[in-house]
Amino acid sequence: MSQALIQAGSRLLNALGRHSELIMQAYLNGHVEESAHSRKVLEQLVQLGVLWRPDPHSALRLKAAVRTLLEGSLQDERNRNINANIGTALASLKTLAEHYKEALYYNRYSEAHAHMSDLTEHVYQLTESLANSVRVMFSRINNEFGYVASVEAKIRENELAQSQVSELLHQLECFRFDELSDIAASNRELRHLLVVALQQSFAKAAQELSIAQARLLDLLGRFREFQGRTRLLKGFLLHMEQHPDFAPGNYPALSQVPVLFNQSGNVLANAAPDMNQVDHEQDYQYLIANLTDIHRRADHADHSTAAPEIDISEQTTIELEKDPIQHAVESYFCEVIDSGQPRTALQYYADHDLAFDPEVWIYQVIGGYQALDETDKQFFALEPTGEQHRVFTGNFYINDITLGLR
Amino acid sequence: MMTEAGRILSLLLEGKFICQVTDEDAWRFLKSRDNAQKLEPHLNMLNRTLASAADAEVFFSAYMTLGDAERKVLAQQFQDTATNLVPLVEWLMLVQQASESDVPVTMGTAIRLNELQSVIEDTPAYAEQLEKISRYRLFNSASVNVDGQIKQVFKRLTEMGYLFRPNAEKQIYLATGKIEHLYEVIKFIDETESLSLSEQADAAISQGSLL
Repeated sequence: MSQALIQAGSRLLNALGRHSELIMQAYLNGHVEESAHSRKVLEQLVQLGVLWRPDPHSALRLKAAVRTLLEGSLQDERNRNINANIGTALASLKTLAEHYKEALYYNRYSEAHAHMSDLTEHVYQLTESLANSVRVMFSRINNEFGYVASVEAKIRENELAQSQVSELLHQLECFRFDELSDIAASNRELRHLLVVALQQSFAKAAQELSIAQARLLDLLGRFREFQGRTRLLKGFLLHMEQHPDFAPGNYPALSQVPVLFNQSGNVLANAAPDMNQVDHEQDYQYLIANLTDIHRRADHADHSTAAPEIDISEQTTIELEKDPIQHAVESYFCEVIDSGQPRTALQYYADHDLAFDPEVWIYQVIGGYQALDETDKQFFALEPTGEQHRVFTGNFYINDITLGLR
Repeated sequence: MMTEAGRILSLLLEGKFICQVTDEDAWRFLKSRDNAQKLEPHLNMLNRTLASAADAEVFFSAYMTLGDAERKVLAQQFQDTATNLVPLVEWLMLVQQASESDVPVTMGTAIRLNELQSVIEDTPAYAEQLEKISRYRLFNSASVNVDGQIKQVFKRLTEMGYLFRPNAEKQIYLATGKIEHLYEVIKFIDETESLSLSEQADAAISQGSLL
């Protein structure tokens, strides 16, 4: 029996492989171009249950099972079917579990084994179909129903998906784990299948579905927003067509300007370089080096400019004669040496009836003293007389200077 | 070296719009209430305050108190906005219609210039529309072919801050938060002048289907 089954199965799979092109075409187009293929091949495929004819006048189509297989394996987003029939699947699970327990009770082990493998198959099928449904839902959310173009169609697709999610969630309520654990009782294999495996996939599916539901609502909101915006833009253009002289009110003139129209101007301009900033010296140098590069190139261009004219007229002579004030300072110093007595600068100024500004005179005396070389300086002593500033310490006002010999 | 806060402050003072597309770091910084409050005194010193539009998707600086000088600036700005509305809306509609998905341009929408250009070149109605748009003073294109017109339009829009080009080598543009600001402006005008634009559009669509 099993040998025959294996042979039939591999014959079917071979046929699928041999006619893969035909099948994929049928999958994509929805039907088979009968004229393009030989009658024998088509008949064989019909016999194997790959193709079928819904009614005598319609074209050959793929069987749903093959289509589901392809959709599942190719993760095709066109698959929008969601198998929500969990109730019946659960009922068949319960029945099979009862069969198994009964067979065990009467010690019919081979029969029990067959029931067990059947049951395992059903449980995993159920978990797979749950996972598949959730995956299909998410793939549609993720590409935002990219398979339909208009926003309206997307909204309809979204509504369909939402109804499917709520249907799925409704079906998930059929899971009664207390009942299932009663059925499984103390049997280890049954417990593993009915309680552990199912519960895991149940929890996962329920959690993901609730996320999917939230995302769907989100998307619906966005689609509606899109719709609103499109309408707004279209409406505006229509309005401008019908009323070309329409001008919105002057909102900035209102006493309370809406924040939308209150946008401050640009206040920042470029800063200027601070040449006294030592830290920046390096950068400035780099910048200038780059500048001269450009400069030199420009220089090369006007290589042949005329040489500047050489001025051969007489240069002004350099003044070597001393100012009268310097002479006066010199004679003041000589007088101090001659008399050997200290004398204040202003006294000398008054005695000789000098014509310079007294302040300039005092400065010049100090300058004259500082200009002497070190050995000459040692003969003289310079003593300023003056007073501290009344408020700020460290400021000393010089009224007069006394020059004497050491 | 400028701190992040200083950088963002100067962006605001330059009159820039800050959104997730143009400068995500700055946008995240301003999203935090604490950070925004740190900047506020600096802005207030210059008679400015932090403002946001489109559910805090976009930030910009607004005047705190309005004197004559400020009103003058705002009036000028509004004048520009009002005259630019029609070209901008026509451009938005063109991009929406020419893109396959028929989804309006919103913040973050990526526009591939090459794709858009080939669609427009293949469709005489769109090419005509583009020609009309590019002739507006806002875009001021003198070009006779689609290539020159569309490049000029996108260049101007990038200059004005409606589009952002993340990679200078690629012709991919992202719509910025300023587009959201534009929608808000239209919405505001719609509500204030009670134009009921959506209803007008609906009426036009249903009439179209009757014909």
